[in-house]
Amino acid sequence: MWLLQYLPNWIFPAVFFAGIILYLVTKTISFLPQAKLFQAIAAALVFFGTYMTGAISNNDTWLKRVNELQLQISKLETKSQETNTKIVTKVLTKREYYREQGTEVIKYVDREIVKYDESCKIPQEVVEAHNKAAK
Amino acid sequence: MKKYLLILLLSGCSTVVPVAQKFPQAPEILQQPCKPLKPAEANISLSQLTKTVVENYTEYHQCSGLADAWREWYTQQKKLFEELK
Repeated sequence: MWLLQYLPNWIFPAVFFAGIILYLVTKTISFLPQAKLFQAIAAALVFFGTYMTGAISNNDTWLKRVNELQLQISKLETKSQETNTKIVTKVLTKREYYREQGTEVIKYVDREIVKYDESCKIPQEVVEAHNKAAK
Repeated sequence: MKKYLLILLLSGCSTVVPVAQKFPQAPEILQQPCKPLKPAEANISLSQLTKTVVENYTEYHQCSGLADAWREWYTQQKKLFEELK
């Protein structure tokens, strides 16, 4: 409510009590001219004061909820970033491990398997079967 | 006075909390596609064929690691996303 931005919060309970006081005054002072008019004004003040006090309370409740959610979201975003960092580190570590593992096996192939290159020829069918599976 | 009270009781407010939560962006590394497997060349030697197979296995392990990481990322981010009450 735009009105709440420009007025201090205490003004609406004050309006409410002013309405109550005005109503009591119209009831106690018998010689007051236009007592009915003042009673109507008093009722309007009580109504407006009550309505606006409720509106402020409602507004404060929502603002509190918004702040709570924003705080919770910022905490979750931090946790989410931490999770990302952990997962990326894990991926990089595993990637490096498998790369090293592959390099080690290739070194072994260069050292040991090459000895059988001359004696063991690979039939074309083996290559074709491999390539079909790798497609 | 009864009329005013009735209006007071019937007046209400409905508000939507203006806070939106976004599902997080996945890290760049998880979004990389897996490389295709290497084919063997014709008239290849035993050692070369073995190397090709080893390279393909390495590639498989890398890709499998990425898939595992995706699953872990999604499960954990979903859990965090659903924590907001």
